[in-house]
Amino acid sequence: MSVLRTLVVDDHVDFRRLAQVLLEEIDGVELVGLGVDGEEAIHLCEELRPDLLLMDLSMPRMGGIQATRLIKAQDDAPLIAIVSIYDDSEHRAHAARAGADAFINKADFLGSVARLIDNLQEGGNVHFTNSAA
Amino acid sequence: MSTSRILLLDSDQERAAQINAILGFVDYSPMRHDLEQGPVPEERPRDFLAIVLGQLDEDECEAVCQWMRADPQHAPILLLPPWHGETLGFDPADVWSLDYPVRAPQLTEILRRISVKHLDAMVEPQAIGPTGNTLAIRRVRKMIHQVSAFDTTVLVTGESGTGKEVVARAIHDSSGRRDKPFVAVNCGAIPSELLESELFGHEKGAFTGAICARQGRFELAEGGTLFLDEIGDMSLPMQVKILRVLQERTFERVGSNVSRQCDVRIVAATHRNLESRIDEGLFREDLFYRLNVFPIELPALRERLEDLPLLISEISDELREFGRGDVRFSPEAIHLLRSYAWPGNVRELANLVERLAVLHPNSTIRPQELPERYQPAGARSLIEADEDLLDAVVTAVPEELDQLPESGLDLKSHIAEIEQALIRQALEQTGGVVSQAAQLLKLRRTTLVEKLRKYDLNRQQVSS
Repeated sequence: MSVLRTLVVDDHVDFRRLAQVLLEEIDGVELVGLGVDGEEAIHLCEELRPDLLLMDLSMPRMGGIQATRLIKAQDDAPLIAIVSIYDDSEHRAHAARAGADAFINKADFLGSVARLIDNLQEGGNVHFTNSAA
Repeated sequence: MSTSRILLLDSDQERAAQINAILGFVDYSPMRHDLEQGPVPEERPRDFLAIVLGQLDEDECEAVCQWMRADPQHAPILLLPPWHGETLGFDPADVWSLDYPVRAPQLTEILRRISVKHLDAMVEPQAIGPTGNTLAIRRVRKMIHQVSAFDTTVLVTGESGTGKEVVARAIHDSSGRRDKPFVAVNCGAIPSELLESELFGHEKGAFTGAICARQGRFELAEGGTLFLDEIGDMSLPMQVKILRVLQERTFERVGSNVSRQCDVRIVAATHRNLESRIDEGLFREDLFYRLNVFPIELPALRERLEDLPLLISEISDELREFGRGDVRFSPEAIHLLRSYAWPGNVRELANLVERLAVLHPNSTIRPQELPERYQPAGARSLIEADEDLLDAVVTAVPEELDQLPESGLDLKSHIAEIEQALIRQALEQTGGVVSQAAQLLKLRRTTLVEKLRKYDLNRQQVSS
């Protein structure tokens, strides 16, 4: 895969900054936008058509699960990784059911994102690491 | 709306500062409300993920409770000492007691459960009870009505997204159990090794990670209805356990040998063909017969496209109620949607409508606003060539209604829709020659010209 056009959506400004710094360090990734909630994620996906969306699960106005469901209804929807501090079967199941392609534990954001992107650039598929999908 | 997700109401300043710090550390942006500014903030109780109540005087406490009671969708309550174990008149399932000094594992576990509950409760925008006037859906409604009064086990089948949970809820809501809980479990989404404790609960220490005893969904649904979705995906060992509950109405928590009685009505659902699962050895025949007491089969959306306009209007109404704004569809857009196969059924439709409500709030959706998959190839190229040609795409007459829909209809616009479609067809047939089209329609030429102007139809566009 060529350059991965990536969008990051999280309500925490510190987290967005961190993600921005990290993604700038990774080759083959271009950060195309930052959003603060699910509604903005829908608009940004429609306008920017990113390849990958890294989105927080819990956000005001509209959370990541609901937004995933609605973004997956667009043409050429991006791959979506839900990022959450709650990495358990229930949250993974909700993410999978909404149509998310991957689930990232926020505590291991750096490592998980790097692995996910490596995997995508090698042409591999992303999938849930448990049977939730 | 607030971006502070957890509200802190505590006159113990030192404690409030401490909890504020802990919450910030676990990824929440707490909001400490200054009680001197009044007992409650300007936000609504539903704007928060949780509301932490600490030391409050009597008047403040009364004001806070009143503020929350006024909002049926208020956030769950976390109580700090001096409170402990009270419910303050709220649903006990919405009230949690925290120890102090706060133990981070306890706090995060409660917040985790609140988050799961919040996700569980996020019902997709779908009408209450299956909506529609087609024979197939009227039959489903009649069956729901017939079966709800009894405790009969119901098996709902149908493709993914046809609204099986909607049927289960409708059965519950029209049964004598309506004031008791309706609990839904997606058996296909929970890893099989966790499903047993999810359904039956577990005792403290039953397995690694079982830090405290926990009620399962059967216990949570006591007196009410348990909806077992995607039961066709359940593992064979779990099927044995479910069969036993259905036969004996008893179960044990994981790690316990104490049998518990339960009074729960089961509604099961699957998108799979259980009979062929039985042939493949993946589903127990005895369980199938226990479940299949009263089968209800839901039609796919493509088999009842006549219901599309009604479904769209119900979904839009619901979105409007949730404050998502008003979204309407032009007759041309509805026509395109009626020629689509809807593999994702009503759920796909609901997602589409909700998405359009976010992207185009308070507007009328035209065909060009629909994602490409809803626009047939021919229509798409026309739209790309010239957006104004859109009207030409639609030539068919709206389906004839042989019966007034239950919710009524806008007669004027329905007739206008039929009129426009016939005018388009006439112009198409005559290559856009208005006088010939007028003859076909037994109209005077000037009358037709008048109508073209009224409906903003252009003969060249229509006939090209």
